[in-house]
Amino acid sequence: MALAHVVVAPLVITLVTAILTLLTRRYGRLQRAISLLGIAGYVLAVAAIAGRVFSIDVLTGASEETATLTYQLSNWPAPFGISLVADALSAFMLVLAAIVSAAALVFSARYVTEYGQRVAYHSLFHFMLTGVTGAFLTGDIFNLFVWFEVMLMPSYVLVVFYGRSEHTRAALQYTVLNLLGSALMLVSIGGLYATTGTLNMADMSRRLTHASQYGIEPAPVLGLSAILLAVFALKAGIVPFQFWVPAAYRAAPAPISAMLAGVTKKVGVYAIVRLVFTVLGGATLADGLELGLSGTSFAAFFGPVLFVMAVGSIFVGGLGAVSRNDLDGVLAYSSIGQVGFIVLAIALAAGADALGTGTDAVRTLALIAVLVYSLNHAIAKSLLFLISGVIQESVGSTRFSALGGLASPRPILAGSFFLGAIALIGIPPLTGFFGKLLVFESAGEALNAGVPLAELALGAALAGAVLTIIYMSRAWNRVFWGSPADPVTHAYRPTVLVAIVAGFSLLVVVLGVGFDPVYRLAETAAHAAADHTGYVEAVAPEVIE
Amino acid sequence: MIESLLTAPAATTNTGEPQVILALVLGLLFALGTFLILRRDVVRVVWGVSIISQAANVYLVTMGGLRGSVPIVSHGGGHGTPTDPLVQALVLTAIVIGFGTTAFALVLTLRVYEEHGTIDLSEVSE
Repeated sequence: MALAHVVVAPLVITLVTAILTLLTRRYGRLQRAISLLGIAGYVLAVAAIAGRVFSIDVLTGASEETATLTYQLSNWPAPFGISLVADALSAFMLVLAAIVSAAALVFSARYVTEYGQRVAYHSLFHFMLTGVTGAFLTGDIFNLFVWFEVMLMPSYVLVVFYGRSEHTRAALQYTVLNLLGSALMLVSIGGLYATTGTLNMADMSRRLTHASQYGIEPAPVLGLSAILLAVFALKAGIVPFQFWVPAAYRAAPAPISAMLAGVTKKVGVYAIVRLVFTVLGGATLADGLELGLSGTSFAAFFGPVLFVMAVGSIFVGGLGAVSRNDLDGVLAYSSIGQVGFIVLAIALAAGADALGTGTDAVRTLALIAVLVYSLNHAIAKSLLFLISGVIQESVGSTRFSALGGLASPRPILAGSFFLGAIALIGIPPLTGFFGKLLVFESAGEALNAGVPLAELALGAALAGAVLTIIYMSRAWNRVFWGSPADPVTHAYRPTVLVAIVAGFSLLVVVLGVGFDPVYRLAETAAHAAADHTGYVEAVAPEVIE
Repeated sequence: MIESLLTAPAATTNTGEPQVILALVLGLLFALGTFLILRRDVVRVVWGVSIISQAANVYLVTMGGLRGSVPIVSHGGGHGTPTDPLVQALVLTAIVIGFGTTAFALVLTLRVYEEHGTIDLSEVSE
């Protein structure tokens, strides 16, 4: 029985840590110790969940079978109570969140000023992590809204953390946009409840698969879920909802930018995958889609929509990053472009799904690409944001005009940045290479399978890859090569921070060289994402008429 | 008049009149909220956001249907059917969240004023 509680453990740990760090704010060292202990506990709890979900053999990395853990809060049966569901997809995303947040928090303990940490930093960080964890684990669509809010509220405060004029401006924009997004999400959830009669994702998936049996009209569900998609796209920061990203990332402290780019964006990505493939996976429109789209499944609608968003993000992000004059700006725009790649793979998976039978392999491949790319982007981008934080701390600016020639006085920092940059570009044997390879491979396979727009997807991915090379090598040239600018020669040496980033950067190499287990986990998670009937069976909501 | 409509036994039609009135009210509220958000004054923007989120709450209540005529926990009587109570529980949660975010948005407005010396968005964003 006690083992069943493992699903709720990471949530409880972060929540308790958040409250304890709030209570111990008078005692700075104790507070920091509790916070670090909390994140260690979180990592262990996530590892326990992942170990049980994937049944990993630690030595060979082989996973024989997967389990989906469900936890019904207070033992209320599924459609009535709140379910927590840890399937392979959730577990994969939790592992991603645990890696990035552990690195970011250890970095913050050294980076954020003593006063800042004591005010609220640690509890806000843990509350944000609670929201992220809840969003990954919940099996209830209204709870997803609640966890989004739990995640967003600390992030509003963290964006405005430094409280000067540019930060308040960025936070205002970020807050107002996300509040609007929340209202829209409520509207969509209310509508979905009225049409399907349930809030439980598994129950909703089952009812939509057998829509006529339950007397559900699918057409309104398509419109309402499109609103939901827009909200998730806002969280993921993809075109046309990308405009809050650069200002917010520049305003937030470096470890928080790392969290926002690495983890909370992935919550948006996860929610899109969950919505399109699990909740709406079996839904069809008998009369076919209108709007000039062919096909009868919901994926046939979401495929082209996501495709347009993805291509827009790749170009807006890539071109924006090429034209920025500060490192934070380049990284912020780059994360729009990189999430574009992830969404492109989701679009390909949806396109393959819409074709129906015989394209399961393509769909799985594209979903593996989504997960591997997400993992790589989470680690590489948060590494780069942390390095940008080190530069800010050491030189006092991340503007290219104030930088230059950092490579010779800071070889280790330069090496870490180089690893992060080439991981983002996608050079073997780093994880980024496999991410890009899988995106290209799924685009190629989709082309063979006859998925519409696949040749354009291939072209956009190529152009995006070239843009990535351009802006990352430009950033490298401006920051690390050339003659040292005046602020650089007077910069001090933050040894501990450099050591933390250097340690984190090794992870990019380790995961790339030992890629086989990562691929297997992603494959398992991709199967879980596409298997909506398996998800329904695992949650087993009671049938109510 | 609205009260009598709300309490009227709506078993008569599916497109009960309270829904029609609420639909109109909701349309107006969303329009007003959108109008306010497009203003340049930060305080108006915050009002707009809170009006929209309140409108979303009213929408949520409407989505549960308003056909019931008795409380969910019956006190002796028990004639007629209750309205779906789930959406009302959802709205309670949403109201609490909305309260927190509105409070934060107002404090943020104050900080914006302190930092920029103005609450005109066109001057703030320079």
